[in-house]
Amino acid sequence: MSPRTDEGGPGVAAGHGPGAALRGAAAHQGPGDLTLTSIVLFTLGAYGVAAGAATGQEGVVAVGVFAFTLFAIGILWPVWSLSRLTVSVVAPTDAVVGDPVELGIRISGRAARLDVRALDPPGNWWRTSAPADGRLPHTAARRGVFRSVRIQLRTSAPLGVFVRTRTLRVMLPAPIAVGPRPSAAAAILQPVPTERISMGSPVIVSSGVDTVRAVRPYAPGDPARLVHWPTSARRGELVVREHEPPPAVGVALVVDLRGATPEAAASLAAGIGRATLAGGGLVWCGTYEDGAPVGATVADTLDLERRLARAAPGPPASPPDRWPVETVSA
Amino acid sequence: MKTADTRPAPPHRRVAPPYRIVALPAAIALGAVGGIAAEHANVPFVFGALAGAAAGVLGVLALPSIPTRRATVVLLGLGGLAALRHASFAGADRSWLLVVWAAATMLTLVLVDRADAETVPALDGGAALPSRLGETARVGGIIAIVVAIAAVAFVPTVTARLGRHVWPGLAPSDADAFGSPSSLKSSPDLDLTTRPRLSDAVVFTVDASRPDYWRGETFDVYNGSSWTNSAPDDDQTFLDHVGTKVEVPADPYDVGAENGRDFRQTFHVEAGYSDVVFAAPSAREVETDKLLHQRPDGTLRIATPFHGEVDPGAGFGKGAVYTVTSRSLPVTENELRAADVRPVPEPITAQYAQLPNTTARVVDLARAITAGQGTTYDKVRAIERWLGENTRYSLNAPLSPPKVDVVDDFLFHTRLGWCEQIASSLVVLARSAGIPARLVTGFAPGSRDALTGRFVVRERDAHAWAEIYFAGIGWQGFDPTASVPLAGDVHSSGSWLSAARHNAIPLAITAIVVMILLALTPEITAASRRRRERRATWSAGAMHRLERAGRKAGRVRAPPETPREYAHALAERIGDPRLEEVGDTLDAALYSAHGASGAARDRADAVLTSVRP
Repeated sequence: MSPRTDEGGPGVAAGHGPGAALRGAAAHQGPGDLTLTSIVLFTLGAYGVAAGAATGQEGVVAVGVFAFTLFAIGILWPVWSLSRLTVSVVAPTDAVVGDPVELGIRISGRAARLDVRALDPPGNWWRTSAPADGRLPHTAARRGVFRSVRIQLRTSAPLGVFVRTRTLRVMLPAPIAVGPRPSAAAAILQPVPTERISMGSPVIVSSGVDTVRAVRPYAPGDPARLVHWPTSARRGELVVREHEPPPAVGVALVVDLRGATPEAAASLAAGIGRATLAGGGLVWCGTYEDGAPVGATVADTLDLERRLARAAPGPPASPPDRWPVETVSA
Repeated sequence: MKTADTRPAPPHRRVAPPYRIVALPAAIALGAVGGIAAEHANVPFVFGALAGAAAGVLGVLALPSIPTRRATVVLLGLGGLAALRHASFAGADRSWLLVVWAAATMLTLVLVDRADAETVPALDGGAALPSRLGETARVGGIIAIVVAIAAVAFVPTVTARLGRHVWPGLAPSDADAFGSPSSLKSSPDLDLTTRPRLSDAVVFTVDASRPDYWRGETFDVYNGSSWTNSAPDDDQTFLDHVGTKVEVPADPYDVGAENGRDFRQTFHVEAGYSDVVFAAPSAREVETDKLLHQRPDGTLRIATPFHGEVDPGAGFGKGAVYTVTSRSLPVTENELRAADVRPVPEPITAQYAQLPNTTARVVDLARAITAGQGTTYDKVRAIERWLGENTRYSLNAPLSPPKVDVVDDFLFHTRLGWCEQIASSLVVLARSAGIPARLVTGFAPGSRDALTGRFVVRERDAHAWAEIYFAGIGWQGFDPTASVPLAGDVHSSGSWLSAARHNAIPLAITAIVVMILLALTPEITAASRRRRERRATWSAGAMHRLERAGRKAGRVRAPPETPREYAHALAERIGDPRLEEVGDTLDAALYSAHGASGAARDRADAVLTSVRP
């Protein structure tokens, strides 16, 4: 299954970027469910009105009208109650398939009690009353970049006659990139041309060889382990060691999702990439995104996940010269 | 030495706490129904109520293996069926139990649904559910109002438009037959020396487009202390059924019954027994499942194996319904005056105009009253006027002594009596003046029920009046008691339900007002809270004034805007930079550890007072 960067996945709507309207999201409403209570009330109502009308007994008709009225109220109240609610959702910008995320949900309007859950996949129900601001746990099920989520509200208040369910597609103020769940893979740490390092964002590369080139004054953000205490003691100020840059290692991941198992390929690519990054290696990632091949060194695992979240079936970018290439195909 | 028991506790299935409160309204609902059912089965009320309540409690609390909601709903369904079964037998005295059942049922449904909701985990950071009591009270109030409005709107419609016109009702028991009011039972005579029993019990209700006197029997022979009918008991005509319809032959001398306008009435018998077919004059068709016979005077009664004797098996029982189509001729006073130009048929004169068995002074009085009156109608009106001016109505009037002419005693001695004496006097005086007349017993129209639109006729509506024959027109009723309060004058009934029905419109208006207030309660509460906050803190009051100024300028504060941001935006919009300082002061008052200085507040107040959006 391919990720849907513009239309699919767990409730993706096309063409809406950050800042899209939070309120008044287009809603499509599902039906509700009648309960045992509704059957009982309807039966009592029908029997009461019919029998009472046949005999002219007002008492029987009154009982029937009472049951029918409860039946009607029990249906109309939840429908009316949910129809007045609007929902806005704020989601984190990044997630990984299978990992829980918390959606910030705001329910405007007034309802004594209702249950809420996120769809795609359907999560657990959580109760609240409205208006409310809460955090809705959800687990992303599919890789992709999603600009909306589907939220489901339900209530049977006050009589439990009819469980009204309303599904809302809520635009997110900022899209959420759901990366693939990394599968177990070994790091690929092979030498890469050093001139390519500058293409990526700054990274701390550790080769495991502690070769001190010089010391320099401490700057905020420097790890404490780099403080060179003897020199600091001599100078009376903190100084840190500067290492020789280690030899660069890494891999060029060519992710080709044109095949039968794109999600497995994306997961494998994520696994290799993460393991390589964790091992201090560089990762160049070539994918097909937004209708064009994209190739670049990733800065970190977050960047890798975002790239893979956007990846779609298509011809990936060609790897840079002299880089060890690992092609992951669907 | 004791050691701690580390064994796991045995599984103990119990109903979840949120459901336990459900047992209370469920017990009340089933207890109410149980009480009604018990009374219907001639078992003491308390036994049925306790049994129902126990069933409710056990059903909710003692069946943990069944989902509580399901068990509760099934119980309520059974209770509803019982309510339907016994609703028609509850009677006015126990109708409040049906209301209790309805209210408790509704509360049970609310609470069990609420309990269901509480089993769902709460949304992290979400709003707490409203209090159970508050939610139940609010929802209960709204639903009660809607149900009341629906009942007022639909019950009369359903019963009036869909209700059957014929229904057998219950078979009367011996107790029903012998305990039934005498006014509902056919009788060969009407004793004027006994006081009638006039209770508030409803004897029947009538679906009819207009009120009328519901005629039962007529009497034409007066013997000084009672009235009888000259037609022998065996001189009765059995009427044939065509389906449920019985065509009633018209009195050949009753022109109105032949050529008049149809008037349809449906009678719903509420008493335990009745064997007289009451109807507005003059019945021409009856829809019933009973076998009827007709006396020569037109009186209709249910055929019994033994004429004149009560037969429980043959009478109308409680719940019986029959429909009568009557026909009468609307006439004017002039037409009645003009009727004298036509001769009265000989059989009418022979039967109804003979001199009654009364005293000479009664006859003399009749002649004195009618002297100078040119027409039959005027003579009757003169007698009515005389009775209205010289007698008084009282149910506590002394009974006439034995062997004393009741009419004579009433006219010349007590001048105090009830409808039977007054109507008898009119008939006797009319006959003494040579006018064909007869006494009629039946019921006054009763009070119209605001809820159902029916005329509710009670035992105290039992009435007697006179009928005068007019040639070419037929029998016309005259009620000399009408000028004084009748025994059947409408009083408020003892039933709270009846009282509610009589006040349906004010109740509906009150209900609507209460509903509006309930709907506005959150807004009123919130406004009140905001007012209190404004009074309590300077910042809340100043913020309110700032927002008010903004609204006037067409710039409403956005929810995420801080007071400072809003004030600065407003300063730019209005063109008053002083507002920026107001925003700064508000920010300091709200968020600074030291608050705003008194001088800054004063300046801000001055700006807010003088700002012109």
